[in-house]
Amino acid sequence: MTARVEATAPRVPAPAVQVVHRPPADGLAGLGAMTKFVVRHNRVRLVVWFVVIVGLFAYVGDYYKGLFTTQRALDDFAALSDTPGIRALTGLAAAPATLGGAVWTKIWMTCALSLALGVVFLVTRNGRADEELGRTELLRSRVLGQHAYAVASWLVIATLSVLIGLFTALSSAALGLDPAGAGTTGSWVVGASLTGVGLMALGVGAVAEQVASTSRGANALGSIVIVGFYVLRMVGDLGNGVLTWASPIGWGQQMAPWGANRWWPLALLVGLAAALLLAAWALEARRDHGAGLLPEPAGKAGAPARLATPLGLALRLQRGPMIGWSIAVVLSAVLFGSVVDQMNRLLADAGTDTTAILRGTGVDALLALLAGLIGLLGAVFAIQSVTQLRADEASGIVEPQLAGALSRTRWVLQRLLIPAVGSAVLLGIGGWLMGAGYGASIGDSSQGLVMAGAALAYWPASMVLVGLAVLLFGYVPRVAIPVTWGVVAGLWFVMLIGDALHLPAWVLDVLPFSATPGLPAEPMSWTPLVLMTVVAVGLVGAGLARFRQRDVQPG
Amino acid sequence: MSSTEMAVEIEGLHKRFGHVHALRGLDLRVPAGQVTGFLGPNGAGKTTTIRILLGLLRSDGGRVTMLGGDPWTDAVRLHRDLAYVPGDVTLWPNLTGGEAIDILARLSGPLDPVRKQAMLDRFELDPTKKARTYSKGNRQKVALVAALASRARLLLLDEPTSGLDPIMEAAFTESIREVKAEGRSVLLSSHIFSEVEKLADRVAIIREGVTVEAGTMAELRHLTRTQVTAVLDGGADALAAMAGVHDLTRADEHVTFAVDDDRLPAVLAEVARLSPRSLVANPPSLEELFLRHYGDELAAVNNGSRQ
Repeated sequence: MTARVEATAPRVPAPAVQVVHRPPADGLAGLGAMTKFVVRHNRVRLVVWFVVIVGLFAYVGDYYKGLFTTQRALDDFAALSDTPGIRALTGLAAAPATLGGAVWTKIWMTCALSLALGVVFLVTRNGRADEELGRTELLRSRVLGQHAYAVASWLVIATLSVLIGLFTALSSAALGLDPAGAGTTGSWVVGASLTGVGLMALGVGAVAEQVASTSRGANALGSIVIVGFYVLRMVGDLGNGVLTWASPIGWGQQMAPWGANRWWPLALLVGLAAALLLAAWALEARRDHGAGLLPEPAGKAGAPARLATPLGLALRLQRGPMIGWSIAVVLSAVLFGSVVDQMNRLLADAGTDTTAILRGTGVDALLALLAGLIGLLGAVFAIQSVTQLRADEASGIVEPQLAGALSRTRWVLQRLLIPAVGSAVLLGIGGWLMGAGYGASIGDSSQGLVMAGAALAYWPASMVLVGLAVLLFGYVPRVAIPVTWGVVAGLWFVMLIGDALHLPAWVLDVLPFSATPGLPAEPMSWTPLVLMTVVAVGLVGAGLARFRQRDVQPG
Repeated sequence: MSSTEMAVEIEGLHKRFGHVHALRGLDLRVPAGQVTGFLGPNGAGKTTTIRILLGLLRSDGGRVTMLGGDPWTDAVRLHRDLAYVPGDVTLWPNLTGGEAIDILARLSGPLDPVRKQAMLDRFELDPTKKARTYSKGNRQKVALVAALASRARLLLLDEPTSGLDPIMEAAFTESIREVKAEGRSVLLSSHIFSEVEKLADRVAIIREGVTVEAGTMAELRHLTRTQVTAVLDGGADALAAMAGVHDLTRADEHVTFAVDDDRLPAVLAEVARLSPRSLVANPPSLEELFLRHYGDELAAVNNGSRQ
């Protein structure tokens, strides 16, 4: 046996001076090839985001043009729209009584938020996700500059934002959304505001993927920032408007198409985007390939026995997302609770027509709407958790577990405890906090329990979606995750613009969220809740039965 | 019938993926207490076979028995006595190697901390690092430590050394010998001949989803030829004409040929008569066996210069 090298080699002292590295030369080498690659790699997603956002705007524009044929109708719609609920959710157009303004109120915020989140997902998918999977390493071993891949994806996504803005403007002008005789300025401003928001989100995503060391972390960070901007403007729009100016999404709003028609907030958005992209460039030039900004500390040398159960392991692995969701729900609930009374006073000033747009009357309608938003947060948490079943199968990580003495049934059922129990806890806490906050402002301590109940009423609806996810996981594993999220996004769109889709009322009524009684504005009804729970159990059972029969399919 | 108990017995196994017929009547026997080598080129169906044994895939035909049970229906019960090392190890990126070992080992049965530590020492693995920071070899070590620290009766190893350096390969060889000495069974899938030759009692060679050769090492060697290289001043033509001599090639005075083992005495006597200045005779290796079964593929690669 030869002596170990470490034992005999003299110790080399660490250099006293830290080595200063110059940035690598030719950081953009291979940009052209990478741009083609990014387009090829993302062509379906790029087309889908383009069609969804431009199509949504054009569809609502076309529908409203047919609906509002007189100025009287537009005036009525503007009066109906001026509610705290609408101000909070979508913001109110600068010129609400014009055709363009009506369309803006209905759909601009949805388009802007979808574009911003879509851009963040696209950025991290090309950058951090590929780096994490080791694919970028293979690319970088070729003649490829350090920044070429990132800059190529920025170029492609910036082009997407510009095209979405351009075609939104063109469709708006073509539909004639601008008031007669006023030219097409409003159409161009609305298009530019979407482009500006998209570019800003590109900057946010680019920085997020440099800071976080995993694509999930980058996605979460970027989305939280975007949603934070949305909430800032929500609070601003409900109050004196100062906080709206603190939010880049608010800058997009303040371009005020068909109203003030401001161009300069676009410069703010583009400037912020440029600053964020420069920061991302600088960060990428400094960090190691594959590393984030935070160092990796040493961990534990062993695991406690509870981690060897599917539930224990999943709790440990989903700890980060669970903490994040809890914080999101708590903050939203506290925020909602604190503004209800203020919104209620605004509501009292508005005409009685206002109540027609909400289900019920006065503050109860408002509380029901906010309980629905908490319900939505709970549902998205549950779906995010349940789709990990397929994610674990796809990555191959479930195989060593199933190679142990663990049945597929036990694996699935224990994992389902997290979305089932977790969403119930989030709904209960969220509703209670919101009710307690509101109750404190009006001196009614019973509101906490009332609102906890109102939010918990959305639990069966969440479980139907979880059941659907398990069914898809069982039958069509390879597309289960995108289809699950597609269905959830579809439900959300239908609820948002269902009236414009000419869908029969019964279709809207059986959707899980509409079927839930809108407490406290509507009377409690157990039938839909029990029915939905039964449906959820049936869906889980069917999906699980199929999973027990099929091959485990990685990839 | 053989009195040996079988840890794995596969007869006529079929598996289709859509229109791809991955396994076409594969046979495989792993006798209890022995190491069985499982050889085949990439895509021959080794991993598919192992995934069927793990109950991850359902067979489309044939009979499979593992540890006396059905790998699909009795998966949970059987896996208490099973340890598995995949060729490409996926771990939870945000857990440490030590945590992953504990989780994997405990899923099959109680964890023996002494054995775990012994294996960590042997494979020189730092268990406190996050799996994300491990190289392929270190991820492989995590799966090996988890498998070898267990008391499983059957070890399914799918190209277990594909990321290991030679020192770690030696540690692996030592570990498998210990496993065998304890009377446990091993199915060792590999395309590294030397590794299988060192460890295996029996070998099964598969190609395109069918077993083409199976038996003990001694049985298979019987089918092979000894490779002889000699430096001769002349007389190679006489050798080429002898019965049992194959594939004779000449480069200057270097003569290389293969000899059927039953003809070896006569051929060596003839070589001795030609007064060789140098003589090297290699025992038949598993590699040759393997090459014989893939000879036509090699022939295509070498433009048909070899049969």
